[in-house]
Amino acid sequence: MTRKKRQALYGVLYILPSLILLIMYAIIPIFMTLYFSMTDYNMMKAPAFVGISNFLKAFKDSYVRAAAKNTLVYSIITVPLQTILALVFAAFLAVKLKDKRFGGLLRSLMFIPVIASGITAATIWRIILATDGGMLNSILGIFGGAPVNWLGDTGTSLISVCIVAIWKNIGYFLVIYYAGIMAIPTDLYEAAEIDGATALQQFFRVTLPLLKSITYLVVTLGIIWSFQVFDLSYQMTGGGPGKSTVTLVMGIYNSAFKQNKMGYACSQAIILLAVVLIVNLIENQFFKEKD
Amino acid sequence: MGNSALTDKYEHRSRRKREWTVFSILGLVILVLFAAICIAPFIYMVLMSFTQSTTATLQLREIRLTDFSNYNYVFRNNGFLRSLWNSIVVVGFSCVLNCIIASMAAYGFEKKQFPGKEKLYLIYLATMMIPGQVTMIPIFLMMKEMKLLNTYYALIVLILNAFGVILIRQFMKGVPDDLIEAAQVDGCPEFRIYLNVVVPLIRPVLVSLVIFTFVTSWNDFMWPLISTSKSGMYTLTVALSLLKTQYATNYGLLMAGAAVSFVFPFVMYCILQKQFVEGIALSGIKG
Repeated sequence: MTRKKRQALYGVLYILPSLILLIMYAIIPIFMTLYFSMTDYNMMKAPAFVGISNFLKAFKDSYVRAAAKNTLVYSIITVPLQTILALVFAAFLAVKLKDKRFGGLLRSLMFIPVIASGITAATIWRIILATDGGMLNSILGIFGGAPVNWLGDTGTSLISVCIVAIWKNIGYFLVIYYAGIMAIPTDLYEAAEIDGATALQQFFRVTLPLLKSITYLVVTLGIIWSFQVFDLSYQMTGGGPGKSTVTLVMGIYNSAFKQNKMGYACSQAIILLAVVLIVNLIENQFFKEKD
Repeated sequence: MGNSALTDKYEHRSRRKREWTVFSILGLVILVLFAAICIAPFIYMVLMSFTQSTTATLQLREIRLTDFSNYNYVFRNNGFLRSLWNSIVVVGFSCVLNCIIASMAAYGFEKKQFPGKEKLYLIYLATMMIPGQVTMIPIFLMMKEMKLLNTYYALIVLILNAFGVILIRQFMKGVPDDLIEAAQVDGCPEFRIYLNVVVPLIRPVLVSLVIFTFVTSWNDFMWPLISTSKSGMYTLTVALSLLKTQYATNYGLLMAGAAVSFVFPFVMYCILQKQFVEGIALSGIKG
């Protein structure tokens, strides 16, 4: 065997364990999901082919429709807000509190919600948002506000879940943005300063364009996470009241593991995948155009 | 003339400095406020866990910081001790296996040449776009068929994905090829090159991967919820979600459960704070 061939063989061997896992737990399952999505499989009898009828049923299903609408609203609220807040906070910390211990402390504190699980965060916030005696209503009460039934009212339940998600995600994106801003050479700002650019102009003309690739990552991650939302809704509201906080993933979970409708659940999973891919394509176009 | 231009500029600057100061104080207040909002829920959780409160309001006089009865109760009656152990086992194995498997694959992709390598790598990248919930149902069915539900294997294996390979490969671009070739010329056996030359050089990214894996695995909820049906196999997140179902208004008990589920990641964060932040920043800049 030549040296080159042996090196190639080693390469394959090194990749093999990971490749086997990838094939077994990502590639085969995605085709199985696609297959099951066109069957009526319910774990009782062998799956029978039903074509696209699951998809047609899903588009008419009021639960799936509510789930799709809520997931979209959730995404539209959380992704822009968490991105903008993380960026503004990071820029402020980088400009004003760069070498200060205090800035480091603030960053450390803001990261703490990131390391808590969605279930832990939801357990705590469910009580903070309680109507009677919950911390948020108590604080509102000090300013003379009437108690709000945050999680029990269809008008505020989804917003409440969004707020907790934003609270939990900002620290993560802040850390990414902060590192990105710190990597921008300081002489660019000095040059802008000499040209008489205000702090705001520096932010929009220097900082923002140079952070484009990071913004792309932050928005992409934000979108993918938002379409996967499950833990927060499950633990805070269980999807209620009514269908006001059900999400696409919760629909998949309920169809598959509460009602054993595996085929129907798989068709919802394929819809979820399609939505994520389409939104990502649109996002790619958007970031390309700005070049 | 030059003089007046200078004065102009000076005045312009000082005026801007003043505006900036008002702006910065306001910004500082907002940041401090937000930092407080970030930690207040956790302080509330800890204080509440030392009360027997059945109302959501925290009564300061009800706090007994020496009374661990809520913690005792969740550990003894709700299987939290067993769940804590399960979470530790799953996280431990996930971290170790992910580092081994992902670093080997990253080494193969970055430092070895074979036909179709980059095409295969594109498939790795593509799998990152697929939400885990999309493949969960067939995996559940396969594991049910193979009697693998309610096992550590099921809980661990789904944590191992392409992310680690991608993260480490980025970092491995910085490992000089000369070093590997020199070891080859010296007749160093192939696997020793990986173990004794490459692994020590990629230690920082392995620490990042351990942190990522730790947090994902510890906080994972949906898959443990689906793949475990025996209480002896529940992880902490599943145990906590059931605690809420059983004791919806026993706030002291719920907060004790939440505190148990939070304490390990929190302690790890306190010890490895720099690595946590650098690990995430690294994924952002390279990504």
